[in-house]
Amino acid sequence: MNGCLMEPTLYTVKGIAILDNDGNRIFAKYYDKNAFPTATEQRTFEKNLFNKTHRANAEIIMLDGLTCVYRSNVDLFFYVMGSSHENELILMSVLNCLYDSISQILRKNVEKRAVMESLDIVILAMDEICDNGIILDADSSSIVSRVALRTDDIPLGEQTVAQVLQSAKEQLKWSLLK
Amino acid sequence: MSSFKRDKKEEEDGGGNPFQNIEKTAVLQEARVFNENLINARKCTQILTKILYLLNQGEQLGSTEATEVFFAMTKLFQSKDVILRRMVYLGIKELSSVANDVIIVTSSLTKDMTGKEDLYRAAAIRALCSITDATMLQAIERYMKQAIVDKNPAVSSAALVSSLHMTKIAYDVIKRWVNEAQEAVNSDNVMVQYHALGVLYHIRKSDRLAVTKLVAKLTRMSLKSPYAVCLLIRIACKLLEEEDTANDSSLFDFIESCLRHKSEMVTYEAAHAIVNLRKTTSHELVPAISVLQLFCSSPKPALRFAAVRTLNQVAISHPAAVTACNLDLENLITDSNRSIATLAITTLLKTGAESSVDR
Repeated sequence: MNGCLMEPTLYTVKGIAILDNDGNRIFAKYYDKNAFPTATEQRTFEKNLFNKTHRANAEIIMLDGLTCVYRSNVDLFFYVMGSSHENELILMSVLNCLYDSISQILRKNVEKRAVMESLDIVILAMDEICDNGIILDADSSSIVSRVALRTDDIPLGEQTVAQVLQSAKEQLKWSLLK
Repeated sequence: MSSFKRDKKEEEDGGGNPFQNIEKTAVLQEARVFNENLINARKCTQILTKILYLLNQGEQLGSTEATEVFFAMTKLFQSKDVILRRMVYLGIKELSSVANDVIIVTSSLTKDMTGKEDLYRAAAIRALCSITDATMLQAIERYMKQAIVDKNPAVSSAALVSSLHMTKIAYDVIKRWVNEAQEAVNSDNVMVQYHALGVLYHIRKSDRLAVTKLVAKLTRMSLKSPYAVCLLIRIACKLLEEEDTANDSSLFDFIESCLRHKSEMVTYEAAHAIVNLRKTTSHELVPAISVLQLFCSSPKPALRFAAVRTLNQVAISHPAAVTACNLDLENLITDSNRSIATLAITTLLKTGAESSVDR
């Protein structure tokens, strides 16, 4: 047939991006110097991508010869890009891992403010998921165990009543919003 | 009123966001704190995050600026804070291409990669390999070989992935690590197995006989990792395509058997491979097409997309084989994902008879 076979290589991911609800970059990584040589190309691509995806919640789109899978929540958009010959389900597994790890890191509070407050951990998680285009790990629980190292959580028994109420309120709020 | 509104909007956006309106010069100034004797881990982590954020936004550092920050950063190795240390690794990777004399951290990183703390080791290997060149690689070769066969999967994966990156600069050195990679292929860990296969294939890919042997061995031992199986399918396809004679039955049988794998990722990969092989006969297409047909009614858009896109490709060469899916494709015309709908329509145009056009 016409050479649509997938190349046997570990380099699968061309880029990962997290954008806010204005299409501005929160954090993005591009691994293919040929497709995105400079920051300008990356920006244009992101603008394009955002315009095409922010209203239609369609999960997958072809853009500029790349397959992009995406997902959004409250005011955030998560994207994973791969070549158009790539197995879409592999890209999807990376996206799910990215989303699930961040969701666990932020304790289900997946919104811009929370990401910004824990940006260091989010960056670390992205680094653990993909290394220069190679999927390093796609299991969110193992990612989280390697990066969410903050130990300043007080065990339930030692929390004051006010703290418990506060966290209960938060959880209720988020379960209602969903 | 309008100004009040804007204030409120700004408050909403900027409130609690420490990264609003930060400036390069100011952050670089702040980074001088790294040189202090007593390190405040929280504060330094915050500043490092700001630097990484700025770089990620496309801000460029000159080589003097970068070198200055880099050297200040090396002071942070004194701190035992885990997050800070991990952020330093990231900083090293980010600045290694701009700053001068980055090899200064080699010994610190070597110490971390051979140390006891598992949380450091994997990340230290990756950072170390990003600053290592061909000549220095010889010095750490022993440690890298050990790391590849390490019990900790994160360490092993990090070493394998880094080796693959370094084949670009030191292929001859990495070539000698075949035995370690071979051992890692037998790992129980899904990712280690995948990475090991990737490295093995890359080292051997110019040697056809070696690749044939590798594939023959791995197809028999049934890999645990779905990612590794996908990669193996691709390697098998490449061998099949290069062969001049008719389809080698054992390789093709392996790909066909993957159609019954429990992971959707693998079944799709196998179906995609079969329909794209040059020598596939229309008889051999049938089971692959039925897998794709099943995917057409999946609730997951990515799966529907993958299926209809592949069917679209088959429709060019074997339109008759796709007619069996016409009903499923017609259902996809109204799909909420426009790419899927478009692909379904163009596929139907290639396969459809007059009767379906009417509808």
